[in-house]
Amino acid sequence: MMTSSLLWLTPLLPFAVGLAMLLVRDRRVLATLDVAGSLAVLGLTLAITGRVVGGGPVSALGVLRADDVAVLFLVLIGLLAVAVSLATLGWMRHQLARGQMRADRLPYYYALVHGFVATMLVTVLADNLGILWIAMEGTTITSALLVGFHGDKHGLEAAWKYIIVTTIGISFGLFGTVLVYGAAAHAQGGVLAGAMNWSSIVAIAPRLDPGIIRIGFIFVMVGYGTKAGLAPVHMWLPDAHSQAPTPVSALLSGALIKCALFGIIRFHTIARAACGPAFSQGLLLTFGLASVVVATPFILAQHDLKRLLGYHSVEHVGIIALGLGFGGRLGTYGALLHVINHGVTKALVFLVAGDAIGRYGTRDMRLIRGLLGIAPLAGTLMLMGAFSLAGTPPFSIFISELMVIQAGIAAGRYVMVAAFLVVVVLIFAGLIHHVGQMVFGTAAAGASREPESAVPMLGLLLLAAAMLLLGVYMPGGLDHVLVRATEIIVG
Amino acid sequence: MSVDLATRLIDVLGALLLFSTLLILAAGQLFRAIYAVAVQSVFLAIAGAVLGAATGNPDLWIIAGITIVVKAVLLPWLLIWVVRRIQIPREIESVIPINATLGLAAGIVVLAFRLNASLGPVRQAITGNALPVGIAVILLGVLVMASRRKALVQMVGLFAMENGIFFTAMAVSQGMPLIIEVGVILDVVLGALVMGILVLRVRSSVDTDIADLESLRG
Repeated sequence: MMTSSLLWLTPLLPFAVGLAMLLVRDRRVLATLDVAGSLAVLGLTLAITGRVVGGGPVSALGVLRADDVAVLFLVLIGLLAVAVSLATLGWMRHQLARGQMRADRLPYYYALVHGFVATMLVTVLADNLGILWIAMEGTTITSALLVGFHGDKHGLEAAWKYIIVTTIGISFGLFGTVLVYGAAAHAQGGVLAGAMNWSSIVAIAPRLDPGIIRIGFIFVMVGYGTKAGLAPVHMWLPDAHSQAPTPVSALLSGALIKCALFGIIRFHTIARAACGPAFSQGLLLTFGLASVVVATPFILAQHDLKRLLGYHSVEHVGIIALGLGFGGRLGTYGALLHVINHGVTKALVFLVAGDAIGRYGTRDMRLIRGLLGIAPLAGTLMLMGAFSLAGTPPFSIFISELMVIQAGIAAGRYVMVAAFLVVVVLIFAGLIHHVGQMVFGTAAAGASREPESAVPMLGLLLLAAAMLLLGVYMPGGLDHVLVRATEIIVG
Repeated sequence: MSVDLATRLIDVLGALLLFSTLLILAAGQLFRAIYAVAVQSVFLAIAGAVLGAATGNPDLWIIAGITIVVKAVLLPWLLIWVVRRIQIPREIESVIPINATLGLAAGIVVLAFRLNASLGPVRQAITGNALPVGIAVILLGVLVMASRRKALVQMVGLFAMENGIFFTAMAVSQGMPLIIEVGVILDVVLGALVMGILVLRVRSSVDTDIADLESLRG
């Protein structure tokens, strides 16, 4: 198949699958379509990765384009889609059994999930910065409906905050895009074909007017930063990520906030070349440090399991922003690796948390006790996931956090590194305390002791395997892509 | 149309755009805010037509037409329909007094124009004062949303913000590519529909405004 048609097919397929789902009423057929559709997406993203690794960036009509930065995010989305679809098999059965999901609304749920995945794929495949924005707002529209899907008061409140705050935020992103486009059109002396394409703007970036790019980048940073959940514009995130149906939470925290970071990375690359690295890196550091610090007290004092994970995502996007802000090859490489590591681990922990919440019928961590006793596999995975999130070896997040810290020391940002280390230690203590209490001890009599079923667990094991593997071994192919992606960003 | 005349017209329209945003901020009644944003959209469409005539770019005429249909008619109609349907009190309650909001607004406008003055030759790429007007309208839109505790007024603020962005986008060179503008407008419409659905769903279950819900904290 031609490479350019691969690029078109990747988002179109989940979109078409989503539309087809609207016509299906049978629960089994829907679940099968869900898993098959996600597997196909993963296959397509891997196929694109193969082409990019083999022959460099590929583009389709100057609208879509995949380079090494994009394929990192693409494969993450594909992998999470598959894991989430498998886990949904078990989750959905429980939801229906407990009457928390109405059978007649299933087609809408599955269709929205696939539409959501399709918009995320367009976001990272877009070459045209306008398409990037349109797809990003598309992710808000589809996922806001999913956040409020249950229709309870809390879910609707979270969905409203989510859509209104991120839409305002993303409007800032559009204005920033307009300014960068204006600067590019000015530098080219008129509107040429592809004047809005990232690849052509980057090529002329050193000639862009630094004044307007600075203002443009500030707007983009606030805009896409809101969507990424960077403090101080993160207020919506713990609400939305905790109120969404659990498989959707896994996608929101694992993949969507990374897509917003992808947008920031694209503009960061332009701003670096146009006004030197200091400006955009300084801004990234400010937002990154704010996120890491602001999230900490909320993590320590939290009782709601899913809110804990939401605030924890704020901390981790902060770490990625810090890595990009410290800059250099090491910091950028570490930040990109952290995108993958955090995406995989956070999706895993959200899915395990969903299982635990189902068993105990509560999200209050004080009431969840002895998970290991009633669900040994889920208990083990939660413990492993928590240690990984807290940054302990031999899990993947340790590696990328270490790189970010090394980059900070290399950049001479000792105060920031010190603050970061203090926060990481505090969060380690808080997280292990919370999770230790949930995993060990004796479960209350009311908790469901239903045996764990194999197929949904397969999705979790897939993520756990990736999390362990990346902690002890860096596959040559991934390293190659990361090195080239780093070169694209820092030159 | 000469470039000089177009620049002067754009500046007049920019002033009208700013003025209509201030009207939204000052509105004490929901319908007035909705009418103000509809009128603002008409100014935006006229700006599109002026720039279309000045640059000879037919895309801008199309965008002007879409703006009239979608932003001046369809979206305000949607808002009015929702208001009628949910029977809410039509007075707008402000978190901060309206006079204080207007004071803040004046500060924002001055700031936006001073920022513009600090920019170099790149200002030539954008017709007239469209850049500071865009920045001011965006920030004023945020002010509307932050100071009003009513879902529908927040939506009005959002539409005003989008109008500010479009105004600047049209004035940059020859506007964004048509397909992008259409995609953005489509997003705005879909987003407004989803917001409308959420407002209606909350009204049908609990008798409050969705923007007033505050149970999620900490």
